[in-house]
Amino acid sequence: MLSQVLTIARFTIIESLRNRLLLLSFLVIGISFGLVEFIGDLAITEHRVTQVAILAAFLRMSAVVIITLFVVSSTVRELHDKTLEMILAMPIRRGNYYLGKMIGYFYIAALVAIIFAVLLLLYADPEQIVIWTISLFFELVLVVALSLVMLFTFNQVPSALAAVFIIYGASRIVTSIFLMAKYPIIAHTSIAQQFMDGFIELLTWLLPDLHRFTQTAWLTYNTADWSTLLPLFGQTVIYLIFLSFIALFDFYRKNF
Amino acid sequence: MHYNHFLHKDRPVSDVPRPVKRLLLLALLMQLTWHSFQEPVVAKAKDLAPPLSTRTYVMSSLGEPIAAAKFLNLWLQAFDNQPGASIPFYQLNYPRLTKWLDTILELDPEGHYPMLVAARVYGSIQNPEKQRIMTDYVFYKFNENPNKYWRWLAHVIITAKHELKDNDLALKYANALAEKATGKNVPYWAKDMKIIVLEDMGEVEAAKILVGALIESNEITDPYELNFLTNKIAVLEEKTLKKRQSVEK
Repeated sequence: MLSQVLTIARFTIIESLRNRLLLLSFLVIGISFGLVEFIGDLAITEHRVTQVAILAAFLRMSAVVIITLFVVSSTVRELHDKTLEMILAMPIRRGNYYLGKMIGYFYIAALVAIIFAVLLLLYADPEQIVIWTISLFFELVLVVALSLVMLFTFNQVPSALAAVFIIYGASRIVTSIFLMAKYPIIAHTSIAQQFMDGFIELLTWLLPDLHRFTQTAWLTYNTADWSTLLPLFGQTVIYLIFLSFIALFDFYRKNF
Repeated sequence: MHYNHFLHKDRPVSDVPRPVKRLLLLALLMQLTWHSFQEPVVAKAKDLAPPLSTRTYVMSSLGEPIAAAKFLNLWLQAFDNQPGASIPFYQLNYPRLTKWLDTILELDPEGHYPMLVAARVYGSIQNPEKQRIMTDYVFYKFNENPNKYWRWLAHVIITAKHELKDNDLALKYANALAEKATGKNVPYWAKDMKIIVLEDMGEVEAAKILVGALIESNEITDPYELNFLTNKIAVLEEKTLKKRQSVEK
């Protein structure tokens, strides 16, 4: 069983390398470096902090976009080229296939996170960068799992990508929306308002706390320590299990 | 792979049906004609709009308040240079400007960028009324957190004395600095800013003393800030020299 999982993981990694994913990551690094050096020249004070803040936010978003695009496009190709059908015709469990793909994608996510972190070494404290990189990896793990769920649900690239970006964005800002709803400037007590407040609160319960992950303040003001990662690890494990079982639920019901 | 492959991998142009080529040219002509009938684009300087709520910036940056604050710093700083138009700082709406600075400080409470631009960029224009808005703003922020913002009030003391020529205001600020900035991080000389106000000292000397003292007490560590302040002093020196030369003539 383990060898099957590892074989699938290995081929996923090989595919990513042939897909010029690394080249794309290096391209992002090049663009980011140019951008951040230009920004540094504009700042009249807090020059390093300004560079780090904008670079970290840009790299975080880029990593999420790259990984989502790769996971969705690579899995969709397997679906459309009938490779998946061929694999499942062999004595292999669907769960093992899913696990193998996930491990392969996690490896790629780690690779992208590390490549991006190398650029940050020019601008921020190394210990804070390591914490930031591990947190980015956790975030990408959830993005991988979410991309697979959305793909198994929608089977189409545009709808899967749109759903991933909407859910990811919502996870990042849901706390802000919740606070705005909870402490409005003008209080409303209408049923529609109460319904919306309840719905937003429900979202805060269902979505992962991504606003706590990969914070720019760690790099700008050195505010993170190793214990910061513990709750993030807990959230990642719990939400990964949740997303994986949604994906498997869908995957086991699929007819090819 | 031979480079010819890239050059000749498609069919020759002659294979394209003639109507397609003609329609392509026609479409290009239509686009050019369409553009020629459009009104010419004229550069218009836009007024500074009021800032949105802090939460809006947090949400639109997908939960990255610090990155949003840093980006807004640069955007606001470059607001005088709009495409094709340039607005002098003194034409900006200063009360609105202070709201922007507040929003940025709310997004990134650890940052000092808005205080530097308030004290040394927007507070250094040739318009006493607007300069007062900025000095008041710095004083207001100082009162919120004296041990954090004391050095910006120190800059403003010099502005009040030498640019606004308001000794009472400068003394009021110097007294506030001595009384309220009592933290261990505040150096002794800062509590004695009254000397700079009371002594018959030129603006250049006062600014040099302040910057020198700030460097000595490790308050200025950013080379870009040091460069900026040194340039400011050089401009002041040049101005003073010119004034002196015109008096001598």
